[in-house]
Amino acid sequence: MKDVIEALEAKREEARQGGGAARIERQHAKGKLSARERIEVLLDEGSFEEYDMFVEHQCSDFGMDEQKIPGDGVVTGQGTINGRLVYVFSKDFTVFGGSLSKTHAAKIVKVQKAAVMNGAPVVGIFDAGGARIQEGVDSLAGYADIFMENVLSSGVIPQISVIMGPCAGGDVYSPALTDFIFMVKDTSYMYVTGPDVVKTVTNEEVTHESLGGASVHAAKSGVVDGAFENDIEALVQMRRLIDFLPGSNREDPPVRTVYDSAERVEDSLDTLIPPNPNSPYDMRELIEKVADEGDFFEISPKFGANILCGFGRIEGSTVGFVANQPMTLAGVLDIDASRKASRFVRFCDCFNIPVVTFVDVPGFMPGTKQEYGGLIKHGAKLLFAYAEATVPKVTVITRKAYGGAYDVMSSKHLRGDVNYAWPTAEIAVMGAKGAVEIIFRKDLGDEEKIAAHTKMYEDNFANPYVAARKGYIDDIIMPHSTRRRIAKSLRALANKQLENPWKKHDNIPL
Amino acid sequence: MFKKILIANRGEIAVRVIKTCRRLGVQTVVVYSDADADSMAVEMADETVYIGASPASESYLVADKIIDAVRQTGAEAIHPGFGFLSENPVFAKRLEEEGIGWIGPNAYAIEAMGDKISSKKLAAEAGVSTVPGHMGLIEDTKEAVKISKEIGYPVMIKASAGGGGKGIRVAANDKEVEEGFPAVKAEAKASFGDDRVFIEKFILEPRHIEIQVLGDKHGNCIYLVERECSIQRRNQKVIEEAPSPLLDPETRKKMGEQAVALAKAVNYDSAGTVEFVASGADKGFYFLEMNTRLQVEHPVTEMITGVDLVEQMLRVAYGETLKLKQSDIKINGWAVESRVYAEDPYRNFLPSIGRLKRFHAPSEGALAGGEVRMDSGVREGDEISMYYDPMIAKLITHGKDRDTALDVHGEALDRFHIEGIQDNMPFIAAVIDEERFRSGNITTAYIKDEFPDGFDGVEPTEAQEIQLICSAAYVHGFFSRRAADTSGRMSPTPDARRDWIVILGDKHHPVTLDLGEDGEAEITINGGKTHTLVTGWYPGQHLVEGLLDGQPFAVKFADRTEGYLFRHRGVALRALVCTPNVADLHARLPEKEKPDTSKLIISPMPGLVVSMDVELGQEVQEGEAVCVVEAMKMQNIIRAEANGTVKAINVAAGDSVAADEIMVEFG
Repeated sequence: MKDVIEALEAKREEARQGGGAARIERQHAKGKLSARERIEVLLDEGSFEEYDMFVEHQCSDFGMDEQKIPGDGVVTGQGTINGRLVYVFSKDFTVFGGSLSKTHAAKIVKVQKAAVMNGAPVVGIFDAGGARIQEGVDSLAGYADIFMENVLSSGVIPQISVIMGPCAGGDVYSPALTDFIFMVKDTSYMYVTGPDVVKTVTNEEVTHESLGGASVHAAKSGVVDGAFENDIEALVQMRRLIDFLPGSNREDPPVRTVYDSAERVEDSLDTLIPPNPNSPYDMRELIEKVADEGDFFEISPKFGANILCGFGRIEGSTVGFVANQPMTLAGVLDIDASRKASRFVRFCDCFNIPVVTFVDVPGFMPGTKQEYGGLIKHGAKLLFAYAEATVPKVTVITRKAYGGAYDVMSSKHLRGDVNYAWPTAEIAVMGAKGAVEIIFRKDLGDEEKIAAHTKMYEDNFANPYVAARKGYIDDIIMPHSTRRRIAKSLRALANKQLENPWKKHDNIPL
Repeated sequence: MFKKILIANRGEIAVRVIKTCRRLGVQTVVVYSDADADSMAVEMADETVYIGASPASESYLVADKIIDAVRQTGAEAIHPGFGFLSENPVFAKRLEEEGIGWIGPNAYAIEAMGDKISSKKLAAEAGVSTVPGHMGLIEDTKEAVKISKEIGYPVMIKASAGGGGKGIRVAANDKEVEEGFPAVKAEAKASFGDDRVFIEKFILEPRHIEIQVLGDKHGNCIYLVERECSIQRRNQKVIEEAPSPLLDPETRKKMGEQAVALAKAVNYDSAGTVEFVASGADKGFYFLEMNTRLQVEHPVTEMITGVDLVEQMLRVAYGETLKLKQSDIKINGWAVESRVYAEDPYRNFLPSIGRLKRFHAPSEGALAGGEVRMDSGVREGDEISMYYDPMIAKLITHGKDRDTALDVHGEALDRFHIEGIQDNMPFIAAVIDEERFRSGNITTAYIKDEFPDGFDGVEPTEAQEIQLICSAAYVHGFFSRRAADTSGRMSPTPDARRDWIVILGDKHHPVTLDLGEDGEAEITINGGKTHTLVTGWYPGQHLVEGLLDGQPFAVKFADRTEGYLFRHRGVALRALVCTPNVADLHARLPEKEKPDTSKLIISPMPGLVVSMDVELGQEVQEGEAVCVVEAMKMQNIIRAEANGTVKAINVAAGDSVAADEIMVEFG
């Protein structure tokens, strides 16, 4: 018996070595951890339970039958993050470059299925060279199997992808189907076709970094939701993110002990809005002063920076914050901001996370670039997302809420549950200048009259009272009591029941 | 006493004056500009008058507007604070003519002391010691030696047109004058085209020591001993103290009496300051100038003498006879003031403007065996604007002796938390704890001598390292315990983990943590001594404060993506707390190379681009001016760090730039 046990231990040890010590050393030299080391950092110590450690590929073409390494380039299994169940797969670059074979795909699908059944998130760690060419169409089938599970899991369990090395070709589409993608700066890149193909096809010369590095995807393309300095920082932050999320759509988000009173008053918020209505201010300060302990996990901080999205907590429970950011482009809604926020709102709605919206929006971004880019449809995504969301929705208008953008930003008319305004709010069809130029067109050119009209418009319409009188705003609140008021609203909304009509699925303007 | 006065100032000093007025039952009127509309002074004043746009030239410096405000409110007198109109004799004279009270010295005194040459003459006539020297034309080397002998060695031979360290020589004896005089003359001719040279006493180990005087309209005048303000950076005072570590009672008395003699010579009838340069080598002292106003650093005098200088200014301005006699003035303990500026010490003290997202000042009153006083004019949520002086607050501490006052100062700095802008507190703290400063052996060149390459933070002492490690372990243990208790666990909550590695900076410290339930913990570092930590800290607080092994301590804490950031005195370190396995992996990650930014011109601070001095395609040499960025009235010339060709210009004159914005790129 003893030798049988020893043999198992020896086999395990061999499997744990993946592509061997030399290859692991090469990973380290590049500033990357190995597949198993990453899992070790991500999960609670000792909680990882590996599946399919002994799986080997079944390909016999091109002499592959002579090269077999247990695990076949991906480490899969289950474990816990702060005691809560997660499923994980981590591509092993040291084994066949992490390339995807039929069996490799089957391992991933196995954890994906288990995650849906048991209601726990999947974290996928990517560091691989794409399809295993030797397996031909089997490899493509494997990809599709994973994609299929990604799609079926979408909205059922949170799916998170962390890109920690190369991720190209077929490999990019599984992350693309998940809820969030994160990258590690300098050591990871993702693209559909690499620089060599780009060069052949378009004669364009690009580097890995300028084609698909973190600097591109976190800021320009918006493909990824955040970038971190190194593997450990990224994985520690994934632990922090998982702490905000429920295991599945069948449960509420987790609750933790809170050391921050819901009654906390922040007098400095009374001076957050600058005296000049065109001056910017940092909306992040409001989020940080409203959220428990100032803790805010921001999604896509560098992309579409004119809107802020991220997770925080109120009284220990997760909320999603969405807020126009006057610091960037005056907080205007453009294509990028609309795409980013609509996806975030829909994620929250999927997973029973209340949405708190702070509004200071001058409108939609004008211009040919935006119109040619399809602002109409992208803007409609945000409108759609807010309108269809049935989770608790609390909205605070801090300053501008103009025109169609007012409607979009979780207004009462889109089933906003509690809509507040600060006394500094200006809820109107447009700014005073524009409105006066239309309403009093005949007086254009008469500066005195226009000034008088503008003053009249500002006095009578650039405020929250017109909307409040019509019931479009539930109350006008003191900025310093914003946290208290939101907390109270969310308590009342804890048992909210609202359902949309049955449908196969909606047809959001993608 | 006045029933109502107007304060023609803003910020901290306006608040300071209001505090005394409130105590005396005097109503206050504060004038304000656009930028100060919601200021603390405006909130505290009984009445306020708006006087115009934010630039001082359109508000605080416009005499007509101030006088209108007096008329409008019926204020009897004006307290000018410092700066702005406080030393403007024309303004003082005009008030006199218009029958408005002036809480400051008479116009003649301001005028007489306002001119450097006339004030020196007056001082010499009043028997005040001035720097011996010969201002006239010196014919030849022989005469130069003669004059030098009369002055007494060492002497300084200086080109009249000199500047920037050029055309200056120090001579310690006849021989050195014989060599130096012709050399300076030649250098002056070559550099400035002007070979006039003068000789004056060279002050060894110069220190800035000033005497506070107080006079009334009835010919009485006393001195309230001295303040030392040698700790200066680019002529801007940073740390002031009273008394001076240099002076003995005899020198103090001599200086005080001379200061009073000068004050009396100009019928000085308010609070004023006579500045001296004193030699640390022989305690010789020489008149520099007289400031005919309340000084920024007046609180240190108040702390050791117990006299409220603002109150005395009000009383004498009202015409009361000075009740204080010279014999009433005693030195009680030691007081230290530091000026907290909105500037980034790590970036060559560049100004830092913005909103005070967090502003938690230490509590006034008793702390660590001494006393804390905060003179500040801002609150959390206020804006530090580019229009005025970057001083945010003055921290003043008092103790029974210098060491105590400095210790208390350090403790108070550790409890002073500002977010939203950068502040110079790490630098102040580094000076406060520095050995030479502690010894009292300071000169006006202290900062240049001790921080020749600027400020880059200081290394923690062993004791500080222990504080930081224990704080990091505690905070992490607290977070971990809470996280382990999140709802939805699959497995039962395990016992709290005890073994951690604290990576402080880049050093790994294994610790054993036993976290109690009521804010106490036992922490063993590297298997050595077990430390006991007691603190009321909980998540969300910016300060970990409590007792470590029975001794009070406080460290500033921030939870960042890259780890915990701890600041304590002049130390700022990142701490990562991880399991031994993760720490081991961490050690294996190679250090990332910093990106090469020498090809980029990055805005070092938020500000306004005043000029863009390069064009696309232009060849630029290292050190060449690329553009000028203005912030807080300071123009900063931004220079190229390497040779290159301008590839892209992202900003133009008139644009606002954020800190770290890439302005120009080189190919």
